[in-house]
Amino acid sequence: MDIFETFRLAQEAIYANKLRSALTALGIIIGVAAIILLISIGSGLQSYVSAQFAKLGSNSIFIIPGKVQFGPQGGPPRSVNKLSFDIVNKLEREKSSDIQTIMPFIEISATASYRNSSKITTLAATKTDYFAMSDIRAQSGRVFSSADDRAARKVAVIGQTLAKDLYKSQDPIGQKISISKKPFLVIGVLEPQGNVGGIDVDNQVLVPLSAGRVLTGANQVNSILVKTTSTESIPQAKAQIEKILLRSLGEDDFTIMSQEQLLSSVTSILSFITIALGGIAAISLIVGGVGISNIMLVSVTERTKEIGLRKAVGARPKDILTQFLIEAIILSLTGGVIGLSLGYIGSVALSALIKTTIPLWSVFLALGFSSAVGIVFGVAPAFRASRLDPIVALRYE
Amino acid sequence: MKSLILVKNLTKIYGQPPNETRALDGVSFEIKKGEFVAIIGPSGSGKSTLMHILGCLDHPTSGQYFLESQNVANLDENQLASIRNENIGFVFQFFNLLPRTSALKNVQLPMVYSNTPRAKRQERAIELLEAVGLKDKLKSTPAQLSGGQQQRVAIARALVNNPLIIFADEPTGNLDTKSSYEIMDILKKLNKGGNTIIMITHEPDIAKLSKRVITIRDGKIISDKKNRK
Ligand SMILES: Nc1ncnc2c1ncn2[C@@H]1O[C@H](COP(=O)(O)OP(=O)(O)OP(=O)(O)O)[C@@H](O)[C@H]1O
Ligand SMILES: [Mg+2]
Repeated sequence: MDIFETFRLAQEAIYANKLRSALTALGIIIGVAAIILLISIGSGLQSYVSAQFAKLGSNSIFIIPGKVQFGPQGGPPRSVNKLSFDIVNKLEREKSSDIQTIMPFIEISATASYRNSSKITTLAATKTDYFAMSDIRAQSGRVFSSADDRAARKVAVIGQTLAKDLYKSQDPIGQKISISKKPFLVIGVLEPQGNVGGIDVDNQVLVPLSAGRVLTGANQVNSILVKTTSTESIPQAKAQIEKILLRSLGEDDFTIMSQEQLLSSVTSILSFITIALGGIAAISLIVGGVGISNIMLVSVTERTKEIGLRKAVGARPKDILTQFLIEAIILSLTGGVIGLSLGYIGSVALSALIKTTIPLWSVFLALGFSSAVGIVFGVAPAFRASRLDPIVALRYE
Repeated sequence: MKSLILVKNLTKIYGQPPNETRALDGVSFEIKKGEFVAIIGPSGSGKSTLMHILGCLDHPTSGQYFLESQNVANLDENQLASIRNENIGFVFQFFNLLPRTSALKNVQLPMVYSNTPRAKRQERAIELLEAVGLKDKLKSTPAQLSGGQQQRVAIARALVNNPLIIFADEPTGNLDTKSSYEIMDILKKLNKGGNTIIMITHEPDIAKLSKRVITIRDGKIISDKKNRK
């Protein structure tokens, strides 16, 4: 029997048992949809984060408190934050000509309120250059200037979510906002930036570094971004910064990373997460495969008479084997394609909330995996069918 | 005339001693081309067992079977499959049609395994269904057909590859008298046209319609007679 005939036959058998076929494929549909969806979330996060870092330019160096180690023994830094404004000042005074800008960040969680509404938000305090460097613009009003920073003016630029939640339909520009109970003046609303891995980036308030320092009353900064004059000068700049920091801090009190290093660390963590998510979903695909195997075995038993009859009229064991195998493959592959479409629809729907991207490899992975599942889990039932003795099959009631 | 079927001392034993069943116990006979043989005997006498061996569906425990002078014991599973496909047509007691499948598709089944092109298959199946009087039931599934109609579909299917022999295991066993005689008419007509038919039955009235009656009891042939015309 030729292969097209076998395909037609398998199709007919699947079509003749629509409900059962649909239920059989359901496990695969769910598994593949889950894989596609989870991978799309993971890689959406990955591409967003990478893009954010990339925006800062390859001439960036990050200084963060504590010893951070990415990799197997990695984890959050445990030591106390010893990065202070004194350190920042020391860097400013002693920086070589390789270093262009030194930009400290304060980032804390704070309550922002206006009249009766209030909301927990992320407060970030930094220098004016930050806006230009990370390509963030004000949609209305303006961002703060170096003059605002020098004068420690209590002005704030707020994100879209915060603007909507606190001011409703009112224009926030020129209004008061109280941050941790201190009054600030809203001078700008940022362009919408969306949601990254479940975190709403639009729920934030940015203030000048000087004002932020007054507000928190602490001497610590959360991180320092250093820009060098060129990508080539990164190694010298790193060495110099390390030398300066080591004079007042211990080896374990800080981590210096170039953009490239940070990017690759973050990417490797995120791709690990992506793969882990995909792996979890893949387990459900295996469960789906067991389902196929199970139902195919039932179907072989149920169709014992049919198999006997086919053998009686001249089907060879090979014909029966391929018939059932192809049936399993069609079921799982169709399930795979449906799951793929559902996963795609799901990720498009989700992209309203968080960024998602479906990498091409995940499509091939899902389809390859689901047809592999069909073959692996279809072989046992198909083999059993091909070995059925026609006599036993014909006498079977 | 050369013999079509020649069996010598066929024995089929089921189970292990002391609980063995001798379904066939030293059966020998010869059938020539163009014969219409009825095999008759009480229930459990070994009729179906014999037909399964003759139809290359089963192997004897001992003894020899020559089909067109070829020793069937020397054939492998795939060769047996192609013999069943090309040289043998089966009609079973319980119709054995594919459920939820149209008469047209059911009749085409053996041709699917002989790699007959689709258009040819369709044409041949329609031709045979017309011959058994089911011209207007091409699209009907077994559930939509009466027992007699189903058996006629089965006969059309058995004929589709122009087999050397047609085996019919109690083809009228589940039919009323009227349908039984209709089926017998078709079989007789086929035999007149040159087909060799071997039919199992336990109804003497039906056996009378054949040309030769082999009676078996407890796995042994107890008589082998030509019917007088
Ligand atoms: N697979 C088997 N295992 C054990 N015994 C079997 C098997 N198949 C048939 N038999 C036995 O072999 C004997 C002959 O069976 P067979 O089916 O050939 O009888 P039959 O003449 O066709 O009967 P019926 O008229 O009822 O169809 C019976 O005693 C039956 O129980
Ligand atoms: Mg029987």
